[in-house]
Amino acid sequence: MIWPVSTPPEEPPQVFCDLFDGRSAAIRRVSVRVDGAAETLVLALPEGETLNWPLSSLRTVPDQADETRLVVTTTTRALARLEVADKGLVESIRKGARALKSKPPVRGRARVFGWAGAAVASVFVIVFVLVPVMADQLARVLPPAGEEALGTATLEQIQTALSEDFVPLDFCTSQDGDAAMDLMLERIGGKALDLPYPITVSVLDHPMVNAFALPGGQVVFFRGMLDTADNPDEIAAVLAHEIGHVAARDPTRIALRSAGSLGVLGLLFGDFAGGAVVLFLVEQMIQADYSREAEAAADAYGIALLQAADVDPGALGDLFQKLLDEFGDATGIAAHFMSHPALGDRIETARAAGEGMARTRQVIPDADWAALKAICD
Amino acid sequence: MAMGMGILSVLTLGFYRFWMKTRLRRYYWSSIKPGGHPLEYVGDPLEKLLGFFIAVVILAFYIGIVNLILMFVSFSLFDGNTAAYIASFVGVIPLWFYARYRARRYVLARTRWRGIRFGVDPGAWGYAWRALVYWALALGSGTLLWPLMTHRLEKFRIDRTWYGDRQLHQGGSARDLVKGMVPIWLTLIVIGLVVGNAYNLEDVEAALGTLLLAVPVLAISWGWYSVRSFRVLAATKTAGTIGFRSAARAPRVIGIYLFGYGLASILTGIAAIAASLLFAALLFASNDAQFSLDDLDNLSAPGLALQAVGFAIYFLVFVIWAALRHILVTLPIWRHYAETLEITGAQSLLGIQQRDRDEHREAEGFAEALDLGAAI
Repeated sequence: MIWPVSTPPEEPPQVFCDLFDGRSAAIRRVSVRVDGAAETLVLALPEGETLNWPLSSLRTVPDQADETRLVVTTTTRALARLEVADKGLVESIRKGARALKSKPPVRGRARVFGWAGAAVASVFVIVFVLVPVMADQLARVLPPAGEEALGTATLEQIQTALSEDFVPLDFCTSQDGDAAMDLMLERIGGKALDLPYPITVSVLDHPMVNAFALPGGQVVFFRGMLDTADNPDEIAAVLAHEIGHVAARDPTRIALRSAGSLGVLGLLFGDFAGGAVVLFLVEQMIQADYSREAEAAADAYGIALLQAADVDPGALGDLFQKLLDEFGDATGIAAHFMSHPALGDRIETARAAGEGMARTRQVIPDADWAALKAICD
Repeated sequence: MAMGMGILSVLTLGFYRFWMKTRLRRYYWSSIKPGGHPLEYVGDPLEKLLGFFIAVVILAFYIGIVNLILMFVSFSLFDGNTAAYIASFVGVIPLWFYARYRARRYVLARTRWRGIRFGVDPGAWGYAWRALVYWALALGSGTLLWPLMTHRLEKFRIDRTWYGDRQLHQGGSARDLVKGMVPIWLTLIVIGLVVGNAYNLEDVEAALGTLLLAVPVLAISWGWYSVRSFRVLAATKTAGTIGFRSAARAPRVIGIYLFGYGLASILTGIAAIAASLLFAALLFASNDAQFSLDDLDNLSAPGLALQAVGFAIYFLVFVIWAALRHILVTLPIWRHYAETLEITGAQSLLGIQQRDRDEHREAEGFAEALDLGAAI
């Protein structure tokens, strides 16, 4: 009987790798091989000791710049690093270790969500509670000169933000037009008010149908508003309403409020003091989302002014109605007023205030009205 | 890689950026191999997100309330908002240095080499006020004390840095850096003389022209100073018996910046032009209009789908720019600094032992929230 020639199992050539044990910075040259049967990576240390890392416990360090090499670690010793450069060994490890690319379990997810909630809540509280409350308090004690400066600064921002090129939006002005506006202001008693600063009225050359008040007694009309109005009483009614806001210091409150919220929003959207935030401020001022009480108070103030001047307050109702019919419910001043559900009531109130009056007259003569309408030409 | 992650970042309203940064850092770190062994970055995106939230909670309060009060005080006392802007800006400066130090501490605590962690001792507030003082000195002395600032702040940072249980040390003195400032000083003197002369002659054009010419010269001298001081400071850094030697070359660094940014701008510009043409073509097509200027009036506002395409193109251009910057500027710069850095006395590395993990809960949240624009 011939014994079969026993060939000894072929010893693969020894492959050496650098091992860092995670305890010291010393390099250890270890001889490494994959033991397919035992499903382990066998590391023979120079001192004679061998380490057996189960193949299933092997992990690679991801996103390596050098893709031909592997940096391997094991879940049993997370700090250890084995740098594998040998092509054959890299291949056999990739083949044998199934979980090579799996990620460590995520820890502390609850804590992240907790802080995320806290972040959202704190921003919410600051923007919607703390800042408005403080703004209301501070608006009461801001000296008049400060208010005027705040108004001027805000107006400049609005002029820049609304311009379509790089030139700030222009004011409309003409000798007769200015005189007509001045006359209107005087007629509705806007010059004899007990305010710390005089009311100033200006017209911005912009097609938006809107008007707004700024801190420090500034009332600003857009050209679109003058174009839309059919008679001077409607403009006078809007003017009286905005004077109501000025008297209640509503714009100051809004301006301070947005100054506070501004930076916070910039922080969240990664646009620290950037352009988008200024746009937001402008939006805030123009659309001036005053509370329903503030609007009602401004209405009442305006109606009283008009009544005292023998001007029909019903004009305010007419104008609202016209804007509603013309623009539907989502543009310019209509949106501003639509945001308050009681718009119908407000139209009614204005008209009712007019019906009770024995004698009304147009706020300024037709010739002045024509000059005012042409102020932007 | 940078492209794909940039797109993901945009799609997730910027929240993916924490994951993006982590992956980019892993890549960059692994590409630096002192002695043939790559650095490893082990930061966790979730802890960065957490740090960002913590910073938002604190900063939202600071920015919301403090800015409101500043605004109020400024308008009541000074009748204008300039004072508020200045105060608010000045108020953020110490926070900025604080955040820088904390971010460095976090990044080094998550960096390993040869399996051993780096680490930085706490000291962010100490750093913040020192930085304020030295910056004030440097600017107040008309840049004469600039080298003092560079050296002292570097010393503060390095002396608190550890590799395993080995503390680093910054030696040398500010005098070693003075020579590097000479080009900047010469440029400043020339500007001063020419502008002063032009001012006397009321020649505004000459003054403006000089200033315009001086900006690139100043930028180049600044690059020269920073590379040279990097070299000088590296040569005087030690960690026990380990020393460093850098052969970084200023012309090379400046060249990479010029060439890299130049090429990146050109390529991004081409991409932007191509993208806008594509968008215009879509716009014309959607209106069934002829592709000519005469038909411009017939165009209607783009529909929702087309607007979405427009936004996508807009952001894509930024993503392309960021990716090109990585390839053409950041990576070459890092490569140059890494290739020219030599570590001496490496045999004493054998004795260095591991250090404990620095938990550092806020990670680099402040730096994230304040948008400190480090490259990565």
